[in-house]
Amino acid sequence: MELGQHISQRYNEELEDIRSKVLKMGGMVELQAENAVKSLLSHDRGLAKEVATTDSKINAMEMEIDEDCIRVIARRQPTARDLRLVIAVSKVITDLERIGDEAEKIALYSKKLAKKKTTIGMHADLTHLSELVLNILHDSLDAFARMDADQAVKILGSDKQVNVEFDNLSRLSITFMMEDPRQIKGTLRVNWCARSLERIAEHAQNICEYVIFLVKGKDVRHTSLEHIRSKYFPHDLDEETEENQAG
Amino acid sequence: MSKTTKKIEANLKKRYAKEKRFRAYGVVSLLISFAFLAVLLVTIFSKGLPAFQQTYIKLDIELNEKILGINKDSDEDALFSASYSKVVKNSLKEMFPGIKGRKQKRALKNLVSKSAAYDLRDKVLEKPTLLGTTQSYWFLAKDDVDVFMKGNIDRTLPESDRRIKDYQLAWIDKLMDEGRLEKRFNTVLFTEGDSREPEQAGMRGAIVGSLLTMLVTILLSFPIGVATAAYLEEFAPQNNRWVDLIEININNLAAVPSIVFGLLGLAVYINIFGVPRSTPLLGGLVLTLMTLPTIIIASRAAIKSVPPSIKEAAIGLGASRMQVLFQHTLPLAMPGILTGTIIGMAQALGETAPLLMIGMVAFVSDIPTGIFDPSTVMPVQIYLWSDSPERAFTERTSAAIMILLGFLVLMNVIAIVLRKKFEKKW
Amino acid sequence: MTELKPDIEKRSEFDIEINGTVGKPFVDNPKMSSRNCDVFYGDKQAIFDVNLDIANNEIIAMIGPSGCGKSTYLRVLNRMNDTIPICKVTGEHTLDGEDIYGKKQDPVLLRARVGMVFQKPNPFPKSIYDNVAYGARLHGLASNRSELDDVVESSLIKAGLFKEVKDDLNKPGTGLSGGQQQRLCIARAIAVDPEVILMDEPTSALDPIATALIEELMDELKENYTIAIVTHSMQQAARVSQRTAYFHLGKLVEVNETDKVFTNPEHQLTENYITGRFG
Repeated sequence: MELGQHISQRYNEELEDIRSKVLKMGGMVELQAENAVKSLLSHDRGLAKEVATTDSKINAMEMEIDEDCIRVIARRQPTARDLRLVIAVSKVITDLERIGDEAEKIALYSKKLAKKKTTIGMHADLTHLSELVLNILHDSLDAFARMDADQAVKILGSDKQVNVEFDNLSRLSITFMMEDPRQIKGTLRVNWCARSLERIAEHAQNICEYVIFLVKGKDVRHTSLEHIRSKYFPHDLDEETEENQAG
Repeated sequence: MSKTTKKIEANLKKRYAKEKRFRAYGVVSLLISFAFLAVLLVTIFSKGLPAFQQTYIKLDIELNEKILGINKDSDEDALFSASYSKVVKNSLKEMFPGIKGRKQKRALKNLVSKSAAYDLRDKVLEKPTLLGTTQSYWFLAKDDVDVFMKGNIDRTLPESDRRIKDYQLAWIDKLMDEGRLEKRFNTVLFTEGDSREPEQAGMRGAIVGSLLTMLVTILLSFPIGVATAAYLEEFAPQNNRWVDLIEININNLAAVPSIVFGLLGLAVYINIFGVPRSTPLLGGLVLTLMTLPTIIIASRAAIKSVPPSIKEAAIGLGASRMQVLFQHTLPLAMPGILTGTIIGMAQALGETAPLLMIGMVAFVSDIPTGIFDPSTVMPVQIYLWSDSPERAFTERTSAAIMILLGFLVLMNVIAIVLRKKFEKKW
Repeated sequence: MTELKPDIEKRSEFDIEINGTVGKPFVDNPKMSSRNCDVFYGDKQAIFDVNLDIANNEIIAMIGPSGCGKSTYLRVLNRMNDTIPICKVTGEHTLDGEDIYGKKQDPVLLRARVGMVFQKPNPFPKSIYDNVAYGARLHGLASNRSELDDVVESSLIKAGLFKEVKDDLNKPGTGLSGGQQQRLCIARAIAVDPEVILMDEPTSALDPIATALIEELMDELKENYTIAIVTHSMQQAARVSQRTAYFHLGKLVEVNETDKVFTNPEHQLTENYITGRFG
């Protein structure tokens, strides 16, 4: 997807500016999520505190980008892909902001968990889940940065795995709680963190949907994955069947 | 101030000076043309104005039945053919007794215009009871007397250099003393046709001839010209060689010397079609040829200037091409067409050369009553008079030019009025 | 099936080929339709193989850069090109299934059925009343003065102009403001009760308020008439039309629902044009 080539150079710059701001915000949010996870897993209170304070920067960024979008709509009346870009951006930043919120939540819990180190029993599962979620987040931001619908649609299915992991963790935490009721408080907090991670993955998937909207012009929200794939990415399916046949 | 600004400023003075000079040139050339016009008008008016006055002589006429050989019971033929000039002569003789010699006698007779006898006849015919009485009448003075009265003969010159001799001067002085000489408004100029005698020569024949000729010209050239222009502009195929050829020829015709049209009229109308010569019909036909290009070119320009949006609107509503032409194009082009037509007419009105070729230069003293009567036209009349040897015709020529100019001004005023009236903004 | 192509192929080099029309140029029961329409001005071809249907009671917008043939195509539809001697139109063109370039078809009758509104407001230099009554008089639609009055009044009401001019019907139409003049021209066009109204950039000479009034009027007229509008303003096409056709260098590049064209056009050229890109 080209942003440039407008006859108006200024317009090119405005759109490029919005896009780079979103990428910057995405980077901030990704770092935020990474740090939150790190603080959770390594019981780092200092880092947790830091995460809790940087959220306001992300919020400010969201408002700034929103304003830019409104300005472009008002002054340039964007159409077609420009319009989709602006709309997608204004939605992406909402999800990014939510991801930031979730990271903040994780940081808050990890601050409390840091003392007792309740997570130790679930460390392995938490690590696994968070790696998965952070990967999804990274990939979806990557897909947005490169405006790559093919990559985005690949990410769309991965929430199933997150759910499986989340369920595993939930089951594990129930076992812990039944074993030792004194652990209930801590375990619940861990579970909340897992829940936030699952939400982050969910928001990341939304971003992927916006990427598809941005590139293909199709709203794929609330549509089954099979439908999306068969309708908009037939070549993906071909490749997969080819791969299957080869395998 | 930037460098560029300084440069511009430096040049500015020069530019303004240039502009001023240019304006000065314009004013000077305007003044020159005005000066020429003023000289022309002053010359014509100073020469022509006296022609609007005419000298009359009062004579006491004894309508002696014996001399005339008729009485009030005579029939009209007798009344008509009686010798009235004799009584006029007698009256003069009575006034200036003791004239001897043939020369002097003739001079005495020539104090009064020959038309005096005819005037007298008309009066008697009107009222035969006047016979036998003595009446005093005002008669036209002979042209020499008139010229003298207008101060155009210097009495200080030696007698041999004068047209009016000493004895004639004595008569005129006596008449003046008795109050028998008077200058009046010259009605003859407007009521009479051409004549060999300057004091009897009038413009009426030429004016009527001109009007009839113009009538024929406009009746022919306006419809043909407008139709041609409309066809060429609206209907003729574009980029067609024949149409281009026609266009070029029309433009060329406008530049053809007018005498050529006269030759054409002579060759075609008279020799082939047998149109009677010297008639307004023939003049109109020839002048039509001459005015057509002017009308066509002006009409085409006017039709072209009608905004195409108006025509498109009408076509878009389902008007046919003819309806568009008659309901929109022509009415909107009419001011331009009329202006062109009237300019063409004015040109035709002042045209002499082609008419010389078709016999309209003949001496016609009768006033034409129709387009088949021989007649002359104003510019030709001017030409004829300017050619005449009599001194009195000089001022008549100028007067005729004034009348012609008056008609031209009138036509231009009509053109302006029509344009103002038809002009519509869109 | 262009939409299935991956985006990377859609973004090609600068001279993008046009192979036929993408999108949905055809409809069921078209009001007007063109097949294989070519238009020549002398030796120069102005329109290349345009195939397009115009549906009943729709507003179809034709957009494209200057000289792309959109106005020329519009004039094909009521044979306005007939008045240009060097212009030659080929292909099949129908109105309600009748061939409009057929021998039986009278162009005068056609123009009564397919009215036209022009770029520059062009009222006749006559009174407002005579302007509106012109078409009705021309075609003998009113048998007496009161019928004519009714035609004039109802046309002016439909054109949303009656309230403004009802006391000035005898004043010249050229004395109105630009927007009023254009609505007068619309009233004049609908006085003949056409089936289709062609509008050739009807608001390009008007200010935004007058433009909005005309657009509102078009929306109302849509109930009874089929409207084809050529416009330079993409925003206008987006605002008023149901379908949008994009012309480029005499070719019909894309026809689609307006919503689709302005959010996700199929053809790269359409996209370049409506987003204001080079191409």
